[in-house]
Amino acid sequence: MGKLITIDPVTRIEGHLRIDVEVDGGAVKNAWSSGTMWRGIETILQGRDPRDAWVFTQRICGVCTTVHAIASVRSVENALGLEIPLNAQLIRNVIMSAHALHDHIVHFYALSALDWVDVVAALKADPEKAANLADSLGLQWAGNSKHALKAVKENVAGFVAAGQLGIFTNGYWGHPAMKLPPEVNLLAVAHYLQALDVQRKANQVVAILGSKTPNIQNLAVGGVANAINLDSAAALNMEKLYQVKTLLEEVVTFVQQVYLPDVAAIAASYPDWLKYGAGVTNYLAVPDMPTDAKMTQFDLPGGVIWNGDLSNVKPVASWNDDYLKQNVTESIARAYYEGDTVRQPWEGQTNPKYTGEWKAETPAPEKYTWVKAPRLEGKPVQVGPLAQVLVGYAGGHESIKKWADFCLGTAGKIAGVKLTPAVLHSTLGRHAARAIRAATMGELALKHWKLLVENIGKGDTAVFVDPMKNLKPGTYKGVGFHEAPRGTLSHWSVIESDGKTMKLANYQAVVPSTWNAGPRDAKDQLGPYEKSLVGNPIADPKLPLEALRTIHSFDPCLACAIHTVDAEGEEISRVKVL
Amino acid sequence: MSTPRIAVIGIGNVLTGDDAVGPHVVRVFEARYAVPPDVQVMDAGTPGYDLTAFIAGLEALVLVDAVKAKAAPGTRRVYDKEELLHKAPVLAMSPHEPGVREALMNAEFMGVSPKVVKLVGVVPASVATGIGLSPEVRAAIEGAVAQVAQELAALGVAVTERVPAAEPDLWWEKPRG
Repeated sequence: MGKLITIDPVTRIEGHLRIDVEVDGGAVKNAWSSGTMWRGIETILQGRDPRDAWVFTQRICGVCTTVHAIASVRSVENALGLEIPLNAQLIRNVIMSAHALHDHIVHFYALSALDWVDVVAALKADPEKAANLADSLGLQWAGNSKHALKAVKENVAGFVAAGQLGIFTNGYWGHPAMKLPPEVNLLAVAHYLQALDVQRKANQVVAILGSKTPNIQNLAVGGVANAINLDSAAALNMEKLYQVKTLLEEVVTFVQQVYLPDVAAIAASYPDWLKYGAGVTNYLAVPDMPTDAKMTQFDLPGGVIWNGDLSNVKPVASWNDDYLKQNVTESIARAYYEGDTVRQPWEGQTNPKYTGEWKAETPAPEKYTWVKAPRLEGKPVQVGPLAQVLVGYAGGHESIKKWADFCLGTAGKIAGVKLTPAVLHSTLGRHAARAIRAATMGELALKHWKLLVENIGKGDTAVFVDPMKNLKPGTYKGVGFHEAPRGTLSHWSVIESDGKTMKLANYQAVVPSTWNAGPRDAKDQLGPYEKSLVGNPIADPKLPLEALRTIHSFDPCLACAIHTVDAEGEEISRVKVL
Repeated sequence: MSTPRIAVIGIGNVLTGDDAVGPHVVRVFEARYAVPPDVQVMDAGTPGYDLTAFIAGLEALVLVDAVKAKAAPGTRRVYDKEELLHKAPVLAMSPHEPGVREALMNAEFMGVSPKVVKLVGVVPASVATGIGLSPEVRAAIEGAVAQVAQELAALGVAVTERVPAAEPDLWWEKPRG
């Protein structure tokens, strides 16, 4: 057999994920994904009032706060059959899109750009040539000026000279797989620094509409708690709405002028990575950004793609799509839980059966992870921005198509080749799709801001319907879907009511990273992370940068809940070669 | 929204046992003390990379967090910026924390790091899934709250006791049903 490499943990900052890859002849032959995923939210929620659930679920993960809050209120509203006021939908949509913009930008610059960008190599760049390069692509960003780039270069030089590149310790500068021209490295480092300000602006939008950040306070089952009064300083008024618009416009400019072109430039410099990393080419996206109170019309499309076939997309047009409700299951055959059942989430259970850590000998033990394996029609599917972009592109979604063509066109122009959407089934394709989605989310954020202002202008200030008003005794089952930054998220709730009060009987969250990072199932079908690694080149088994590239392209977010500061310096090896 | 001058930030997950200590301490502090408007008191949960955004441009920062240390549960430790940045090897901290060190290093690199940083840490007994502090950590809350007040006073912040004290908003401890 080949050489086995363990990468543990994979995420730079957020979570705890372990990847084992078997390398043979300079390429990955087999791969296993394992991790500690949040489990047991139902043990915390059982017996509680479902109206309180979102406050708890938004604490599951500090990075995906709003995401779990939104999915939770939708789940309860879906169970009770509630229609919520249009203003509430639109306020939620603007919060969601600001959060998504923030998340995509942070993921690219802070958590994965260093897989492609060599910070130290930026010191070889000529700031004037770098400024000219940006200019030749028609980019107007002020941060691309010769003067600004010179300052960044001096800043980096100072840090390198002082040996203070601590934050980049995990960076692989000088690795043979690093191929960007020095000028592109310099531009990317400059944008890495400038992204902080943009991140804060996106956060401010969430804070203004959500009353607080990072954990928003304005949601409610039945709508939102934002009082709308254009003349009141205490309420959501015109001044605050215009502040939101200004901030969004600044973020959108960054996405269009900086983020998307950067991803295109990287794709142009790493053409091989438009071939590696496709993995599972079954995709799922759910519709989102509803534009009506009844939640029948959506600005983001949902659908299912099998085997990468864009000519035959099965549309998912509604959150009440019976197909999804009936065909989503979770297999625990290879995860540390009692039994090998395949269940629908409403019947899901969490009975841990830990059979011991895999010591990285092959073959892998039967059970090797805490992550369950979600399946659609029994098959693994990939979720995330790529799924949504492919569904949108295939269906002719105007904004997605425009920005996808822009991204492919820009990358093709730099590389001097013609790129088609087929290249998106790849490691860099996932990054490109995330940037394309960010551009679309930016347009939709502004569109939904406008819809909100227009609706308020008509005199509609309704934001809430009381879920208790027409409550009848019975058992209610609901699912809350949300197309989150990392892909399709669903919260599944079972509610018991005596007509006066409500209690949660069960609650399961099927999170995007579970779909992607999940293990094999009883039929031994590899999960998306696992399959995407097979065939990746590995130039240096001691520094498996290539495997990191593919995993980071999924934007993993695992176990961000677990954290204690190790101030005593317990040694944890990050890359072990076995 | 002006940027605050000083921030007190509690970090931790309220759904995982003693990891709630950071949010718990800042909420008790907030209920008991009033601070000037340029001092922000924040329960940040587990902010991950956003911590950099929250601390950028501050003059001083007081963090409250659970810390893994070779000491009995409930033990309080205070670390300063130098210790946080340089004491332990970088890699050792990354998987089980939201990036306090990374956030600080990043802020340094970007030139926006607070001059003074204090971490008030409490050693947890258990951070397993579930709500509620261990008796040892619950007993350490008072001392940690007083420590936060002391750190702010040392920074020249006028910390005034509320009379009567407000009820801290510890919503996660609310019983079911």
